[in-house]
Amino acid sequence: MNVRREQLSIDPEKCTGCRRCMIACAMKHHGRIDPGLSRVNVIRLESQDLNVPVICMACDTAPCIKVCPMNARIRQANGTVTTNPDVCIGCRACVYICPAGTPRIDPYTGRTMTCDMCEGETEPWCVAACRQEKALTLCPTGAVSHRAARQAAGRTKKFHTCN
Amino acid sequence: MKLVIIGNGIAGNQVAFDVRAKDPEADILILSAEDVPEYDPCSLPYFLGGECQQTDVFRKTPGDYKAHRIDLRFDARAVSIDPDKKQVTIHTGEEIGYDKLVLAHGGDLFIPPLPGIDNAGVFSCKQLSETRKLAAHNGTGAVVIGSGAIGIEAAEALKRKGYEVYVIELMDWILPSLFDEPTARRLETELTGYGIQVFTHEKVMEIKGDGHVTGVVTDRRTIDCDTVVVATGVVPGTALAKTAGIETGRGIQVNRQMQTNDPDIYACGDCVETIDACTGEIAMFQLKHNAIEQAQVAARHILGEPVRYLGAYAFARAHFFDTHAATFGKTQRALDCVFGDKRIVEREDKNNYLRVMLLDNQIVGGQAIGTFADELGLLIGAMWRKDDFLDIAAKMRTLPKGGAVHAWPMVRLGTLLGM
Repeated sequence: MNVRREQLSIDPEKCTGCRRCMIACAMKHHGRIDPGLSRVNVIRLESQDLNVPVICMACDTAPCIKVCPMNARIRQANGTVTTNPDVCIGCRACVYICPAGTPRIDPYTGRTMTCDMCEGETEPWCVAACRQEKALTLCPTGAVSHRAARQAAGRTKKFHTCN
Repeated sequence: MKLVIIGNGIAGNQVAFDVRAKDPEADILILSAEDVPEYDPCSLPYFLGGECQQTDVFRKTPGDYKAHRIDLRFDARAVSIDPDKKQVTIHTGEEIGYDKLVLAHGGDLFIPPLPGIDNAGVFSCKQLSETRKLAAHNGTGAVVIGSGAIGIEAAEALKRKGYEVYVIELMDWILPSLFDEPTARRLETELTGYGIQVFTHEKVMEIKGDGHVTGVVTDRRTIDCDTVVVATGVVPGTALAKTAGIETGRGIQVNRQMQTNDPDIYACGDCVETIDACTGEIAMFQLKHNAIEQAQVAARHILGEPVRYLGAYAFARAHFFDTHAATFGKTQRALDCVFGDKRIVEREDKNNYLRVMLLDNQIVGGQAIGTFADELGLLIGAMWRKDDFLDIAAKMRTLPKGGAVHAWPMVRLGTLLGM
């Protein structure tokens, strides 16, 4: 499995719901200002006055890769999982199986799209757009301590093995 | 180690490539009954409907096998296994020895014994060779017998190709093993709206025709057609396992390490009978994600890792034209077979519909159409975690207004359920 180099961290408490990240994302990937084309989705929870940016977390055991009938969900070298738009038929299996419901549907083509961490850029555009509020930030490599990661892995392994 | 894999499907290839990734020394042989590299049966209806190219159907190219030094033998049907001599006999009579054997030959299409089933113009949509023939066939009217996932997808594909399509289902509603009646009735209305005729609770008596199909006779009507697609389900292939004296139920019986009662013979994929990860009941879902997970477990255990399969889970989606629906876990019909306090939560909003099955206040299944389906993953997560439904409802009421940032996943789940 590829090692994830960096990870987005989300702090819903700081999110003001301005949706600049969505505009930045659509601008980066499609070159137009259209929040519908964004890979980030800011959800408004009315009952709690909360805005939560929801974004693909590229699970280690991503179920979307397994359920895609066209094998269009592919893990990239930087650890993210993205949809190959040439093969995707828009069946939305990845949307339904996703534990966070993150894949978004391109309203023009009906195909799904998820975060690719703006490959090739120094910083994802949504993070750049959120510099003031810091609701979306980038954890650099090693920000999560290796000890914690190893402990978590040990727990998972204990759960999966029979002994 | 000589590893022989019977079946060139998703499970078989997953085992082969997983073993190769960790063990460069192993001698791996795949026996394929067909003459093409690995393809994905889930994508065949889309190839039939012209939504994707034939090249997109394949998961592997012949070059991948060469690069990984995996010996793939075409047109080699295994007919018997001798577990004492550790030998597999193929249809030509050749005997192949093995150290570890993996049965991943999947299921056989169930062909109902109808009069006239041998006529030209009767196809199935499970294998690439059959689907190619169907794609090359020119017809105007098609009858799809059976309305499982493959049947509905084939019906959509044929409609896209310009056929007049009829779907005949023996049970009371379409997709009977995946959806409950209220959901299926909505899907049926949608299908009819797209111009696909659906006849439920009807039995096909005969396929008419003298060499070529001319029509289908059911117990209520006669339909003129020139194409018949048989999509009446898949039965697990257990005949081969029986020749080795392996215990079989509905499918091949395996333990949590995907071993059969012979420790050197593993089985995975559509041909095995496993347990449901959430309820612990014996389950056979025959779905792609379960095949991949079972194959990964089998591969790791062959390599000597201590590993345990957590169980299969049901998740399927129905998608035709602009209608999107998904289902997971138990249906109401399956729920009727267990004791407990049952409750069904329903939400409806124009064409969107959500139906959640609760057993002892835990989510055990659900179905959704339209926008409600987009967040179905939250419910699947709740089913895995065995969240207490009443607990969530009680906590939702006590959350401080505007202050419950930590509880946003729960709030999202509660919002979906209309709490």
